[in-house]
Amino acid sequence: MKERTIWEQIADSFRSRSIWMLHYCTGCGAMELPPTMTARFDMERFGIAPMATPRQADILLITGYLNTKTLRRVIYTYEQMADPKYVIGFGSCTINGGIYFDSYSTINRLDYYIPVDVYIAGCMPRPEAILEAFNYLMEKIRKGEADGWKRYRENYDWYKQNQIRSLGEVYVHDEFHE
Amino acid sequence: MGEVKLFFGPNHPGMHGNFSVHMYVEGDVVKRARPLPGFLHRGFEKLMERRYWYSNIALIPRICVPEPDINEACYAMGVEKIAKLEVPERAQWIRMIVLELARIANHLMAVGGIGGPIGLYTAPQWGTADRDRILDIFEALSGARVYHMYIVIGGVRKNLTPRIEDMIWKTMDYIESRLPDYENLIFKNRILHSRLKGRLILTREQALEMGVTGVGLRATGVEYDVRKVDPYLFYDKVDFEVPTATDGDAFSRVYLKFKEIPQSIKIIRQALEKMPQGDKVNVPVSKGSALRRIVPKGMAYVHIESARGEYGFFVVSDGKNKPYRVAVRGASYPQGLYGIEKYLPGTRIEDVPIWLATMDVCAPEIDR
Amino acid sequence: MTNSMSNLVKILESFNPFVEEIDEKEIKITVSPDKVVAVLETLKANGYSHLSLMTCVDWIDDNQLELVYILFSWEDGGKFLVSTRIDRSNPKFVTVKELWPVARFYEREIHEFFGVEFEGNDDMKPLFLELWDERPPLRKDFDPRDYSRKKFPDREYEKDVIKEAKIFRGEING
Repeated sequence: MKERTIWEQIADSFRSRSIWMLHYCTGCGAMELPPTMTARFDMERFGIAPMATPRQADILLITGYLNTKTLRRVIYTYEQMADPKYVIGFGSCTINGGIYFDSYSTINRLDYYIPVDVYIAGCMPRPEAILEAFNYLMEKIRKGEADGWKRYRENYDWYKQNQIRSLGEVYVHDEFHE
Repeated sequence: MGEVKLFFGPNHPGMHGNFSVHMYVEGDVVKRARPLPGFLHRGFEKLMERRYWYSNIALIPRICVPEPDINEACYAMGVEKIAKLEVPERAQWIRMIVLELARIANHLMAVGGIGGPIGLYTAPQWGTADRDRILDIFEALSGARVYHMYIVIGGVRKNLTPRIEDMIWKTMDYIESRLPDYENLIFKNRILHSRLKGRLILTREQALEMGVTGVGLRATGVEYDVRKVDPYLFYDKVDFEVPTATDGDAFSRVYLKFKEIPQSIKIIRQALEKMPQGDKVNVPVSKGSALRRIVPKGMAYVHIESARGEYGFFVVSDGKNKPYRVAVRGASYPQGLYGIEKYLPGTRIEDVPIWLATMDVCAPEIDR
Repeated sequence: MTNSMSNLVKILESFNPFVEEIDEKEIKITVSPDKVVAVLETLKANGYSHLSLMTCVDWIDDNQLELVYILFSWEDGGKFLVSTRIDRSNPKFVTVKELWPVARFYEREIHEFFGVEFEGNDDMKPLFLELWDERPPLRKDFDPRDYSRKKFPDREYEKDVIKEAKIFRGEING
């Protein structure tokens, strides 16, 4: 890995202390996010808060299984986010398909389509595990190891080819017939 | 002013779950709307055909995330009906307690969650924090917070210990003591009144024609509840009321959910008192034979009253060790698909999330 | 069978139904495809006005698809399962969207998952799947595992964990 300059180290250190996560519930793992966000576990004490739009967000949470229809939107969303951006995969189904390993509509492996920085195992992960993962990601950002967005840029062709292979096309149509 | 095409969701903070509505708007008014489900489609009905009767219990709770126990209960009751399996009496009472706890958890989340789309941000903090108390009971009972897999075919997985019973008593007292605070914070609030009163009115004829069940129907003044009309488990042996309202607007739908919480607490207390003591809570299955267990030929439809309305499983067996077909009736299917297309045009954009929240449109159970 | 339900079954006898009693409050009625709409209309006029579920079962051995309409009465709490069998190779049926408007979406779903055409229902856009390129997925001859292998690559593990666990348990020799 390339040596970081002192300015990059300072920037990474600041980045790790204020993380905005995109408020997008892609799967059932989103059920454990309200307890994590609200009074009991309160992730704001770690400097993490939800953000409505992808342009201002730093983390994309993939909360659980993704089917092909959602994956198209997730890729859209991920490409809209500004660098640096990080991805956390929730639960077993993002790692290897989990309980849906033989489903005809859900993908089996998330890092084949977009780069993932941290995975959380379990179905579903507890709020403590989510906070632990956030802490781990902060540590990784501080050390400059969370480089998923760089990998996506360098291996763009490989990711695009995988996306096309599974999805056919990455384009969102509207629901009206016109 | 021309019509503008607006994609609402799936990535939108006002959207409940992973669901999308595509609409044409003119100014603030919705002209045409089309629901776009399927973001959570996992093919459950196919996956269930590929797994054994008993291993399906591990898969099924994932159909509906906010209230997973209804799935296990429905499926187990359906299989028991086809196989003519006798369930121990204590297990039935425990099932009732679990289902009512899940209902309270879902209602607390819904009552608090209404604060999200209307901008009343204290309510979600309270609702989710108090819901966590019930998740703690589930954790003590089954070892998991969200997906319990506690109700199995032939009974429940483990017995209710005196410690957990004590915990349920205490939690019920706590939640009951909190209810006046909720009433003051949420239902006397000006924001809630001005945003929900008189909005999105559904008449009784419209509700019955659409096929809405649950609070959406009861807010129009009819007392239709599956627990009363077609009692399952021991709901005919406990004393409870079904609250109704006559307005049919968004406010009364949320208020009815709140009114159901004390009734559920009442049912749980009665169940804890009336429950027979003993150790027999399931029909034991030895480790190897669970996979070979055959259910005789037949089909059955079992429905129960979930927090969102009538929830049903249609189970078909062809006499093998796997289900032949399982179809799920999601409680929010009519209001989530037909209701959006029919009743959203003419309303304003800010009413769309209120429809989704108050009619309890739950995306995972529509998509399956 | 409750009283009101047995009265209804008597009314329905003119349609030559095959009546099966699943439960005290649950009756299955099998009729030929051309009489289904008339049966549903009769039941709807007699209190069974709530369409709980409309679904389809694929009987591949008989080369037939079974359409099931589940009706529920809010007054006496009974359930009628109205079922009919249609040909599997060229499945066609009539729509019931005039009786229950929500049936339009159930029909859309059945068209997507079983490939049944509903005459009179022109809105047959796929509801759940996007860009589907195989046979209808809930038919019995569709194997989701094969499709998943072909389309969505699995993660490859360097360690064979299952084998190691078997060695650990002493089931096989390592």
